[in-house]
Amino acid sequence: MSASETPALRIEGLSKVFEGQAALEDVDFEVSPGEIHALLGQNGCGKSTLIKILAGYHRPEPGATCALFGGPLELDGTPPAADAPIRFIHQDLGLLGELNAVDNLALTSGYQGHWWLGDRRETKATHEYLRQYGIEIDVTVPIGTLSVATQAMLAILRAIKDVPAERLVLVVDEATAALPSEEIKIVFELLRELRQRGGAVVYVTHRLGEVLEIADRVTVLRDGRKVETRPVAGLSHDDLVQLIIGRPVEAFYATGETHREKEVVLAVEGISGGSCRDVSLEVHGGEVVGVTGLVGSGYESLLRLIFGGEERTAGAVRVGGALVEPADPSTSIKAGLAFAPGDRKRLSAIPAWSLAENVTLPRLPRGSGPLPWLGDRGERRDAQQWIDQLAVEPRNPATPLSSLSGGNQQRVVIARWLRCGFTALLLEDPTQGVDVGAKPAIYEALAAATENGAGVLMSTSDAEEAAAVCDRVFVLVDGQVGAVLEGSQQTTDRIMATALSAKADDLIGASE
Amino acid sequence: MKLDLQLSRFSGLYLWALIILIFAIAIPDSFLTSTTAKSIASDESITAIVALAALIPLACGCFDISVAQLVGTSAVVAGSLMSKSGASPELAIALTLLFGLGIGLINGIVVARIGVDSLIATLGMSSVLLALSGLLTKYQFVGPFPDSFKQIVSGDFLGIPTITVYMVIVAVIVWYLLEHTPLGRRVFAIGAGEDAARLAGVRTARYKMGAFLASGFLSSLAGLLLAAKIGQVGPTVGPEYLLPAFAACFLGTTQFKPGRFNVLGTILALYLLATGVTGLQLVGGELWITDLFNGVALVVAVSASILAAKRKSRRQKRLAAARA
Repeated sequence: MSASETPALRIEGLSKVFEGQAALEDVDFEVSPGEIHALLGQNGCGKSTLIKILAGYHRPEPGATCALFGGPLELDGTPPAADAPIRFIHQDLGLLGELNAVDNLALTSGYQGHWWLGDRRETKATHEYLRQYGIEIDVTVPIGTLSVATQAMLAILRAIKDVPAERLVLVVDEATAALPSEEIKIVFELLRELRQRGGAVVYVTHRLGEVLEIADRVTVLRDGRKVETRPVAGLSHDDLVQLIIGRPVEAFYATGETHREKEVVLAVEGISGGSCRDVSLEVHGGEVVGVTGLVGSGYESLLRLIFGGEERTAGAVRVGGALVEPADPSTSIKAGLAFAPGDRKRLSAIPAWSLAENVTLPRLPRGSGPLPWLGDRGERRDAQQWIDQLAVEPRNPATPLSSLSGGNQQRVVIARWLRCGFTALLLEDPTQGVDVGAKPAIYEALAAATENGAGVLMSTSDAEEAAAVCDRVFVLVDGQVGAVLEGSQQTTDRIMATALSAKADDLIGASE
Repeated sequence: MKLDLQLSRFSGLYLWALIILIFAIAIPDSFLTSTTAKSIASDESITAIVALAALIPLACGCFDISVAQLVGTSAVVAGSLMSKSGASPELAIALTLLFGLGIGLINGIVVARIGVDSLIATLGMSSVLLALSGLLTKYQFVGPFPDSFKQIVSGDFLGIPTITVYMVIVAVIVWYLLEHTPLGRRVFAIGAGEDAARLAGVRTARYKMGAFLASGFLSSLAGLLLAAKIGQVGPTVGPEYLLPAFAACFLGTTQFKPGRFNVLGTILALYLLATGVTGLQLVGGELWITDLFNGVALVVAVSASILAAKRKSRRQKRLAAARA
């Protein structure tokens, strides 16, 4: 890591503007050979934009330069050439679980045989390659049956197969988010081995504990700018948090009194499933409660588990005191729950259908005659008042939903549930993909929804949003409730700091 | 743009008129007769009911390709009950309809409960039904059937063949249920986005099951009408309904309600195809004309609807861009 050495990766003057908003501003980034370099920052700080520019998904603003071991790398929105010594491991490892290690490795680098695939020869070659890195596994079983850590290592070894380690830049982009902490250690061994051989690793993660454990240097991005590049030695967990959020962290103290005078409309009792473990919470009438956390902490799937859209392994849900049984969407809706999923294209509505059809689907009008009659005119008139109430643009109920902007689509989804009626509304990332200017209207709609005594439970990846909009915020860490923040403790910083804390158990212990 | 939309929505009607016009000019003596009109109307009535049987599962995103073989096997079942077991026509009709419901139930369980792909499940069912036809007929013709049975389709009603009247009644019921009740809307919701429908509270498995039951019932009804119409049945009837029925369903998605399966479009498409085929046969075309015409029409129709949808989404994007 001497200054005279050619850096493995050097980026200078990197900027990127999305629709008038700067995602990256004049960022310089340098990684030395034989170094593990952590890239850190909050959601939306620009680190994934940086990775995506390197990987060729985005074209940066003109003026940026990039070099790999001194050789130029053109950043032009196309993937780097196969002979450029840079490789990427993304969160989705891109492995086929039903195929074995031999076939998965051959997907990128081909087989030994050209005209004839002999199982024995292929198996032997794969074995030998893996053994170089000290990995001894049965390469003939479907890799879906192997541990997640082994899969991650296979993904890494597959990616770097044709690059000599001393000329390698490996970008690990949150690929370890799904790994339990004890398994990550095994993957770390492999990364250290690569470092030993002179390779450079860019390690993107949310888990600060991992950074302290494995990284040599760290670069922190905030709001699209580079804050600092520093050696990790001598940094503490709190120092990292401070670098990331830009302010010092106040000391933790247990949450105080609450302002819950209204009755509980939604009670979640010990729900487990997906990445959630034994999560309990209550939502009172008139309250907007937030759930947030890091990617993989379980906040993404909690609402789905409550609604019964995803199967849960334990736990119960009560709406207005009554147990919701069985846990499926139809029963939940009858019990007074409403659910607006985050995936608007696929789950929360039907894009090809008209606004009217999307608004009426959960509770279809039957007409006034003796036989049910669902006519265009009556249905559109019915939907129109809800479209008007939420100021959806355009107002014509016959417009297909897909032609609307994200914010307007979200309003249609909220209109649907307001029309259907609910005791508690579950909202996943309500402002994801919504322009900044359209967000207030959605918050207003949420506030209106609570006026008649209903409760709102929203999940969000945006700590700032959680702090600003919610009456109380549950921060999930490692699938468990890390902390419940409210009142003066409910700040963006505190939410981020809690979410970044290494282990839920430590935190719960500390707050008691 | 409005005019253009109307043209594409009703293009089938214009095309139909054009086909009639061409044959009317080419072969006025044989084509422009009430016999030809009646024969098209009554011949296609059974296919129309089969098409409606296929349409209901299609609306909820499932293929039921066993409808065609179920028509044949139902006819064989009804025939065997009457001519071999000596059952009365009433009893035979009731048992055959129950048989159709039973097949629909099995298809429904395999697809909606177990989760087998609908194409695979009903492909298998078709083979099972074919075997059943062979078993019951011993590869001989079954019949002739009692006159009291054949009477259910004989004669006219106000000049319209009785069998066509049955078809119209079935079509009106299916149209009402699918397109104008909450029940039908939920069926379409499953077809448009199964997960979205489920999260909006639609009990998807139950509705799919219902769709297969309805499909089985209508197929065996078509089988009964077929048996009554031709008076005796062989072991090989059925498969010839498959292609025209599905061609009509897909061609129908280009009409009236573009991009969606709908009853009126299906019926129109079916008669459009039949008119073309009949005209070509009267001109002196050979038998294979029918298959060629149906096959080409199916592929062209589906291509046309995909291209239209692409054009529509491009236009919407332009509109959205203009608005922004």
